[in-house]
Amino acid sequence: MNWAETITQSLKDNDVSLVAYVPDISIHQVTKILQDDPYFHVVSATREEEAIGIAAGAYAVGRNAAVFMQSSGFGNCINALASLCIPSRIPIPMFINMRGEVGEFNIAQVAMGRATRPILDVLGLPYYTLDTVDRLDQQVSGALQLCYASRQPLALCLTPMLHGGKIA
Amino acid sequence: MHRFSATKMLLEHLGDRPVVANLGPSTDELWHSGDRDRNFYTYGSMGLCSSIALGMALSTDEQVISLDGDGSLLMNMGTIGTIGREVPSNLIVVVWDNEQWAQTGYQASHTAFGTDLEQVARGCGIEKTATVRDEEELLSVFHQALDEEGPWFIVAKIQEEEYLPVSPVEPEMTLYRFRKSFGD
Repeated sequence: MNWAETITQSLKDNDVSLVAYVPDISIHQVTKILQDDPYFHVVSATREEEAIGIAAGAYAVGRNAAVFMQSSGFGNCINALASLCIPSRIPIPMFINMRGEVGEFNIAQVAMGRATRPILDVLGLPYYTLDTVDRLDQQVSGALQLCYASRQPLALCLTPMLHGGKIA
Repeated sequence: MHRFSATKMLLEHLGDRPVVANLGPSTDELWHSGDRDRNFYTYGSMGLCSSIALGMALSTDEQVISLDGDGSLLMNMGTIGTIGREVPSNLIVVVWDNEQWAQTGYQASHTAFGTDLEQVARGCGIEKTATVRDEEELLSVFHQALDEEGPWFIVAKIQEEEYLPVSPVEPEMTLYRFRKSFGD
């Protein structure tokens, strides 16, 4: 399996069947698989905080839901995490494609990319960086298990080292 | 029409269906109308009330009711487009439209200056819409919404009145018992 197929399988293994997302060219490698798989309901959100709200609603009625976004969009959903998911104990795995890292061409992506992990730190939310296919299944499945066990949001940061680094 | 009286009226007619309430007075008045396991109160995340209800509606066969507000929905109007795209037949959005951000000092909102949220919904492809101005009209269209497939988008024009005491702020308990009522 390639990295995108591994993530897809890990979602299934952890009963994550709804995915809300805002498009990104790299995570498109995953979301295009999810959209073709009837196991998943993939919801195209207009903004990342909306995606968090949709995923939170799904969890509230008993369905596990993940969110896919770009690091720039992580900046759009901080308050949804801080005022909804954290106080309510709503676990949402967030797959964040990291911009502003190696190979970045756009200066406007750099500051938010660099700020993403420190913001997660001050929110008290764990994150794991995915930069190799080596033991990726253990890393992703393990993180999803932790997310639901701790009932807190958690981030999986996808880097160009993982997916080949086509940044656009 | 006043929100508290209208909320009590809706609660008498919606049975065991799950309800999501916008932060502030909508949540407080839902609590005072009758606390129940299937009330999903929100205490922050302004703008996300109907997004949360959408996520629920896509994940249960039951009808889901969102009690949103004009100021909050203006913050996240994109979610009306997502509702129009997903077309969840079991979602009923009621927008308490007082044409102001009342809790922060009664500042006029955009709906006081011509923004018509019902027309926004129609422009997003939501066909079952209404704007109502009294409880009789609201109850009539709400019964229709319970009987006919949606999504429904109902703008309820209201006047503000004195606030009730703030309801208990228990987000973890709200989520826990709400989720448990769905068997998990």
